[in-house]
Amino acid sequence: MTTLTHEHEAHPGRQGPAPPPRGWRRLLYPGLLRAAWMAPLFFGIGCGIVVLCRWWGGWQPIWFGEIIVLVGALIAGPIGFLAGIGAFDYWVRYAIGSPTKPEDHSGHGAYSWRDYFRVNTDHKVIGIQYLTTTIFFFLAGGLLAMLVRAELAKPGMQFFDNQTYNGLFSVHASLMIFLFVIPAFAGLANFVVPLMLGAPDMAFPRLNALSYWLLPIAGIMMLSSFLVPGGAFAAGWTGYAPLSIHQPLGTIFFNMGVQWAGASSIMTALNFLVTIITMRAPGMTFWRMPLLVWANFTTSLLVVIATPFIAGSQFFVMFDRVMHTHFFDVAGGGYPLGYQHIFWFYSHPAVYIMMLPGFGIASEVISAMSRKPIFGYRLMALSLMAILVLGFSVWAHHMFVSGMAPWLRVPMMITTLMIAVPTGIKVFSWLATIWEGKLNFATPMLWAVGFVSMFVIGGLSGIYLGAVPIDIHVSDTYFVVAHIHYVLFGGSLFTIFAGIYYWFPKMTGRQYNEKLGKLHFWLTFVGFNLTFFPMHLIGTQGMPRRVSDYAPQFANWNLFISIASFALGASTIVFLYNMVTSMRRGAPAEANPWRSLTLEWQVSSPPPIFNFDEIPQVVGNPYEYGVPGARHAVLNGDRAATETEVRSR
Amino acid sequence: MRRGSIVQLIVIGVLAGAVASAVALIPNWLPSSASREAGRIDFVFWFVTGICIFVFSIVAAVSVYSVWKFRVKPDDDSDGPPIHGHTGLEIAWTAVPALLVTAIAIVSAIVLAKDDAAGANPLRVNVYAQQFFWSFSYPGYGDKKSDVLRLPVNRSVVLEGHSKDVIHSFWVPEFRQKQDLVPGLTPTLHITPNKVGTYPLICTELCGLGHALMRSRVVVMEPAAFDKWASRKGA
Repeated sequence: MTTLTHEHEAHPGRQGPAPPPRGWRRLLYPGLLRAAWMAPLFFGIGCGIVVLCRWWGGWQPIWFGEIIVLVGALIAGPIGFLAGIGAFDYWVRYAIGSPTKPEDHSGHGAYSWRDYFRVNTDHKVIGIQYLTTTIFFFLAGGLLAMLVRAELAKPGMQFFDNQTYNGLFSVHASLMIFLFVIPAFAGLANFVVPLMLGAPDMAFPRLNALSYWLLPIAGIMMLSSFLVPGGAFAAGWTGYAPLSIHQPLGTIFFNMGVQWAGASSIMTALNFLVTIITMRAPGMTFWRMPLLVWANFTTSLLVVIATPFIAGSQFFVMFDRVMHTHFFDVAGGGYPLGYQHIFWFYSHPAVYIMMLPGFGIASEVISAMSRKPIFGYRLMALSLMAILVLGFSVWAHHMFVSGMAPWLRVPMMITTLMIAVPTGIKVFSWLATIWEGKLNFATPMLWAVGFVSMFVIGGLSGIYLGAVPIDIHVSDTYFVVAHIHYVLFGGSLFTIFAGIYYWFPKMTGRQYNEKLGKLHFWLTFVGFNLTFFPMHLIGTQGMPRRVSDYAPQFANWNLFISIASFALGASTIVFLYNMVTSMRRGAPAEANPWRSLTLEWQVSSPPPIFNFDEIPQVVGNPYEYGVPGARHAVLNGDRAATETEVRSR
Repeated sequence: MRRGSIVQLIVIGVLAGAVASAVALIPNWLPSSASREAGRIDFVFWFVTGICIFVFSIVAAVSVYSVWKFRVKPDDDSDGPPIHGHTGLEIAWTAVPALLVTAIAIVSAIVLAKDDAAGANPLRVNVYAQQFFWSFSYPGYGDKKSDVLRLPVNRSVVLEGHSKDVIHSFWVPEFRQKQDLVPGLTPTLHITPNKVGTYPLICTELCGLGHALMRSRVVVMEPAAFDKWASRKGA
């Protein structure tokens, strides 16, 4: 505690980083300007290495476009960009033995909008960087979905050829999963978790900055695949081999984009784990952590264990393509189902990576806005752990019709259906929390309760999919499309919105517009159900997914769905308008507008640069609403109630 | 809890159950059934639907009632009762769902075992998938070839899947059966058609540019007509 305050006080008048030097020296100063020349330089170095190797090995042609794109544009160029913007400066200095700059926290905090465009080590700034970046890719992915629905409004081909259409839904899914849901949760947690723990920052602030800057690289890579010859990657976000091996050039943009996004996830997850394990404030035992922290703890374990598998699967596909290996090529002795096993060993846990943080957000919002302790706190935390463990034993339920060993289906069905038990515990506990509460239906609560109701529908359709005989019928149909949107839109996205509205006052220091927030919720809620519920029906009736054209019997429903989806898309405009205007002109927010007990609300809005002037002392559970005299933490020299005193009460 | 609120809860639950049942029963959720396997799969479908309507009604009753009764004005600063948990309830909502999903798992496993077993004297058919069309051959009839899958009614059929390029998936919604055809593997699928007619055959695994149009037909015929067709030379 004391060292922190000292460092802080050592620079009393500091207002951010020293101004950049003038003249040509500015080119050497870490930032976007240096990145603008270092990225092409590294691209050139990458090309040089390729040409040199090919010339030396005697391979023709020496200028081989595909490899040059891969090594130059997808690997070396981004590394140059990161080096240019300054993500590696400290480590490079250290590695080459030159004196490192003493940490003066000049890379910490944001004093103008420019500070969001540089390598910043403040977890609050990084959290906002994450959120704005992911919302950008959310809009991009959403627009792609609008194009998909435009094409599907009528049977036959309307606007796109098949390659473009397949690219649209592939990039839509990839952006939504890898550039929106997963990192948006990471962004919210980045802002909130250190505050909730009573910590001044994340454990590794420079690693945190690096993991953010990997994200725009991954997103731009996936989006820019539309611009290369042959069009975007078009084998679906699942990229099943052998189809994905023999696709146009855009496929390697997916293979590599996943690597950058995956590296970002893994670094953040490690950072969360170390932060949660080592940086809890005194008195913050595991059983006093808010459920959002528990959720991010389990999610981070999932990320660290599972993500290397998708990295491997995409490398194998790419090696099959560019290095002529035969991992999944039958003619060379490969095994196509191997891809699916490796892929789903990540991508099923990924479903929980995309849902558990949302469970955490829902628990925070529902408890605070029902003015009641969370029902069954320990069972809520334990059910997260149960989902974590079970989540690794169910991957092959995506493969019931794949041709894998038939005996594997029944055990995988049993574990799959068993996940309904911890998930059910969570749903019932949220309902028991709102029971007899004092429900304040501000916007975050609407999203949280909306999430619970939609997630129940998504969970029940999951039971259909878990039962093998039904899955055999509905696998790869619109029923699956409906199911995943009920869990990832009604589940993940609803909780992301709940979190954004809930912490908006804390992040910006201003209050969002409540009327617009509610309007946004209702438009989305209605539009969402009108769009996705009918998909269950056309799926069971026989419409396969991932098709640009379909049998005339589904024409009416598809037109209906397309119109509903445009309304759903339009609801996002209300959200954006609310965010932008409230950020600039919203009413100043109180420190604790929701009267929450958790630590992030006990500091000003927005929080001071090092979060707490003094490390708080945690003395009780985080959800003791309605318990007379109960406190979660004591801070700001307020030593009225110490731990022993609270215990003796 | 007062008796009045219990009645209100039950009324909401029954209403929610009625709405859910209407959604389940009024539209035609499943295409017509044309195989013995389809009949069994439909049984699982309706069994699960029944359980889901039950769970949905309970959840809807509690949430609608709570939203209706426990909402307060924004300026109400009071707190709710500090209830931290209830061990009995928590055991109940762990055990009951566990029992329900176990029941679903048992029913599913039995149906799966039946659907995976070939009947007596099955007809063997090779299914060949390639970008972007289907073809079939009948080893029992001098390797007769066809672009349309013709099957006799009420005879067990074993389809052996072959893919020449990427992964495709064989699906006939009226049969409810589906199987991916993977290069290098020869997975089998069992079907016993029990209704004469013509049904669509759809590829359900994204296989490239022509995926949406990779369709064919299945014609289920009287055994005599099938024998006559199958014994004829040529396609």
